Amino acid sequence: MTETSAINLPARDRPRLKKGTIELAIGVLIVGAWILAAAGAGIVAPADPNALDLAAVLAPPGPAHLMGTDNLGRDILSRVIHGARIDIWMGFIGVLAPLCIGVLVGLVSGYYGGMTDTILMRLVDITVAFPFFILVIAIVGLLGPGLANYFVALGLVAWVAYARLVRAEVLVVKRLEFVQAAKALGFPDRAILFRHVLPNVLGSITIYAWTDAVMVILAGASLGFLGLGAQPPTAEWGVMISDGQPYIVQAWWICFFPGLAMVTLSLGFILISDGLSRRLRVSQ
Amino acid sequence: MHYLTFIGRRLLHIVPVLIGISLVSFLLVMLVPGDPVRLVLGPRATDDAVAAMREAWGLDRSLLSQYLTYVGNVVQGNLGDSLKYRLPVWDLIAQYLPRTAFLIGYVLAMTVPVTVLLAVTAARREGDWPDQVIRLLSVLGMTIPVFWLAVIFARLFGIQLGWFPVSGYGEGFLGHLHHLFLPAVSTSLWLAPVLTRNLRGALVQQMDADYVAACRAKGLPERLIFRRHILPNSVLPTLNLLGVMIAFLIGGSVVVEIVYAVPGLGALMIGAVLGRDYFVIQGLTLVYALVTVLVTLVIDLLTAAIDPRTVG
Amino acid sequence: MSVISIRNLSVTFPGDAGPVQAVKDVSFDLEEGEILGIVGESGSGKSVTCRAMLGLLPRRATLGGRILHHGQDLTQPAAMQAARGRDIAMIFQNPASHLDPLMTIGDQVAEPLIFHFGMSRAEARAEALKLLDAVQIRDAAGRMSAYPHQLSGGMKQRVLIATALACRPKLLLADEPTTALDVTVQAEILALLKTLNRERNLTMALVSHDLGVIAEICHRVIVMRQGEIVESGRLRDLVHAPKHDYTRLLITSQPGRLPQMTDQRPDSAPLIELRDLSLHFPGKGDKVVRAVDGVSLSVRQGECLAIVGESGSGKSTVARAVIGLNAPTGGDILYEGRSVVGLKGEALTAFRRKVQMVFQSPFDSLNPRMSIQRTIAEPLWRHGLATKAEAMDRALELMDMVELPRSLAGRRPGMLSGGQCQRVGIARALALSPRVLIADEVTSALDVTIQAQILKLLTRLRKEQDLTVIYISHDLTVVRKFCDRVAVFRTGQLVESGTTAEVYADPKAAYTRDLIAAAPDLDQALAGVT
Repeated sequence: MTETSAINLPARDRPRLKKGTIELAIGVLIVGAWILAAAGAGIVAPADPNALDLAAVLAPPGPAHLMGTDNLGRDILSRVIHGARIDIWMGFIGVLAPLCIGVLVGLVSGYYGGMTDTILMRLVDITVAFPFFILVIAIVGLLGPGLANYFVALGLVAWVAYARLVRAEVLVVKRLEFVQAAKALGFPDRAILFRHVLPNVLGSITIYAWTDAVMVILAGASLGFLGLGAQPPTAEWGVMISDGQPYIVQAWWICFFPGLAMVTLSLGFILISDGLSRRLRVSQ
Repeated sequence: MHYLTFIGRRLLHIVPVLIGISLVSFLLVMLVPGDPVRLVLGPRATDDAVAAMREAWGLDRSLLSQYLTYVGNVVQGNLGDSLKYRLPVWDLIAQYLPRTAFLIGYVLAMTVPVTVLLAVTAARREGDWPDQVIRLLSVLGMTIPVFWLAVIFARLFGIQLGWFPVSGYGEGFLGHLHHLFLPAVSTSLWLAPVLTRNLRGALVQQMDADYVAACRAKGLPERLIFRRHILPNSVLPTLNLLGVMIAFLIGGSVVVEIVYAVPGLGALMIGAVLGRDYFVIQGLTLVYALVTVLVTLVIDLLTAAIDPRTVG
Repeated sequence: MSVISIRNLSVTFPGDAGPVQAVKDVSFDLEEGEILGIVGESGSGKSVTCRAMLGLLPRRATLGGRILHHGQDLTQPAAMQAARGRDIAMIFQNPASHLDPLMTIGDQVAEPLIFHFGMSRAEARAEALKLLDAVQIRDAAGRMSAYPHQLSGGMKQRVLIATALACRPKLLLADEPTTALDVTVQAEILALLKTLNRERNLTMALVSHDLGVIAEICHRVIVMRQGEIVESGRLRDLVHAPKHDYTRLLITSQPGRLPQMTDQRPDSAPLIELRDLSLHFPGKGDKVVRAVDGVSLSVRQGECLAIVGESGSGKSTVARAVIGLNAPTGGDILYEGRSVVGLKGEALTAFRRKVQMVFQSPFDSLNPRMSIQRTIAEPLWRHGLATKAEAMDRALELMDMVELPRSLAGRRPGMLSGGQCQRVGIARALALSPRVLIADEVTSALDVTIQAQILKLLTRLRKEQDLTVIYISHDLTVVRKFCDRVAVFRTGQLVESGTTAEVYADPKAAYTRDLIAAAPDLDQALAGVT
């Protein structure tokens, strides 16, 4: 077996890919492609997403309409591409707002502890006692359907996950000696929190945020499907699946392609999250 | 500390959460833009009728006294009346709850064995092809929107192949199993990957633990080490996730119930939301939260029973 | 007759920059009844060699050579499985993590008996009880149903030893078995191992970084460095006539052999005074943890005061109280005669410039996401003593001062060695030109040769900067060489204090005597037993 290691030795010259790089690359490629398509929807999409073509109602996928048309003759491909705008936007806002609130709460709660921590964590306990989707439905249901109210509901509910995650990490990091050193050196709390603690918890937040984006988009699309999210005729993937459901027997493509779009976008997000977490684990 | 003391302390911890839950569900109705009474009675109601309704609902009193009345009612099992069905909300929930409970039990019965099997296979062959395949499948599973899968399955297995009914709840135990098969499978296909990833991760981590090396040094065979040491230690984090996931499922069941027209709590909830049946929304949210608290409690007690460290 | 023969053992791990050979062509024999010491610093391959002998290497490791045991080659899995636990057993460095947290002590000790000897659970537990008695666990019957987390570190190590002895093995491998334990517990465990060797004719291989520990019980020693055997033989011969430069370096770096670095001055005025200082924390339930309890002590201008104690003695808590990281619950701390308890704002900032601290863990004490130049510069500009640009320049000078090459300035801590990180920590603490430097176990995570360098550096800086040093340590041998005065702590209380020379020559308290006796020292051990 000594021979094998001797043969392997020249591998030093051939640089190896870091673990997780492949996942990360594929993920970035998929998500990048979707963002490009969404940004340039006006150019990329073959037709107006809301243009009715009553001559080509329920047309199956073919050369004229690559993904077919729906019951009003709208081009599915164009609607899927324009839908990406809504769904990516939904994921972006739906992650960013709770992330900011949650990180702030988690930092303060974990770092200072004491009464502030007790009160904030009680608030978290109470919020997680409600099933996430139910509370979102209830809030959206009472405020009225629509994307704006979905974001309000997310802001009220989804920060909890980030607050818990950040708090747990801060509790670990603040015991580390470099934070103690920063205190002993008399650095102001703000500098310690944002310059020393935050950069060291950012990694796991980022990893979580990418999978959270999947959840936010799936939940948002579910709301759209239930008629509580984006409202027709907006081309949103969940709404499109809902629109296609009555025609599922004669025209499967109306439902199928928006769902497929959602799967690919989510896959991209999860691959990015996986790749990042594998790289982070290696570097530690 | 003894197990009983632990249970006592854990129960004590629930009290503020219960108060919080009741407060949130009480305040939820305040979110409704405009005057709920006007919304219920319609724009053409007379002022007298509105005033009478306000008094009947106690809306003319202070917020605190309204809250106390609310809690008093809830404790007696009175969640108010449905505006649509003109029935006590509690009766409605009692009628719809068993179906959702059955569905969730069904999903768990389907998911847990598969999860354990897949995670154990993947972990034992870490890095080999079975592991890679299972990892790929679990990533894919997590990306699939449950409602979309449900719609596709309904067409494929329900309508095209005609193997399973695509709506309703069925009669008798076997009927339920038959009717709820597609809803349960669609949900399980999302849940199993999440749990598998978690359990596999825990297993792989535990396989590298120091005490495993110590077991090997004792000369114990791998199979025994895995069964007696690695598995129990790995189950703990997954058990916690399972608790979280059950809470998630309770919410997630809404969509599947709509697609397959299962007359469960989810269907009731959506009906109430679309019909602006405020007290049903309020009551359901409260019940959902209570069930979640109960599930978390059970999981915590189970964890404490397995892990002597939690008890202290 | 040799119990085990290692022939041309090599172990290779895959690494990011190609394969890394952790053990290179190592051969040695273990004779029946002997205790062989394997000594080396981090990266020497000593633990990997030990683990290879029991087939405990990770799967990605590639093994070469042969491990012969009664005519069987243990590199073959079947032969290894037959010998493991029955003929050869092992104990480990960190006893806490090597016990299954979910299983009772009794069952863990009984497990190999059930498996190897086919005993019933009741028989095996009866035997386990005898074993726990044999390793001197008090109230063994009561401990049978205890879980690992309910035992102290020393107890856990005894449980592991009992488990290892269960099937009456001929060879016991001990991988740094006392490194995670307090000195007094270490002495007990070493004594136990020695007894087992004598009474059961148990052959042992003891892996350690500490020549003092090796000297206590080993008959013969192998010195390893970077995966190779540098030298081997009887320890006495090695110490008196080392053949290899590295062996010589290792021996001269032993704390007991370091030059005297104390700086006995005429009694100067007290700079810091602790008056009846207490720090009590709420513990489990209604209990109160008295981390520090009624301590009065003064630190004189320009001296180096050692605070010595085992884990739980409160020595670090005292230091953290002085620097204001923990608030005292009673008593007072005076700096130049003025109380510094509860200082706020400007006054606190001003005090912090005077008193600085260096921490134990070389890696944890530096922000992993900050370059070391920034790390050293940060205190200067945050205290408004310099602009950011000036601070960065000054950081380079500070790096010169602690003998760090300027080429490392842009690196992050992850790319530095432990000793280099510790130098960064010192430079950062000195950036504010403090008068007092608190050093909390600063060398306990470092190799002995690096420890010797850091102590030399601290001695030089002490003179150059006229620093008052509070040196917190568990290592009495280092303290004896490095500190002017010593204060011995136990369970939050001050046991004894005085000049180092006095305390070591004539310890007043019984506990101090125990501590001094338990501290492993190469020369004392050589003079005594071997």
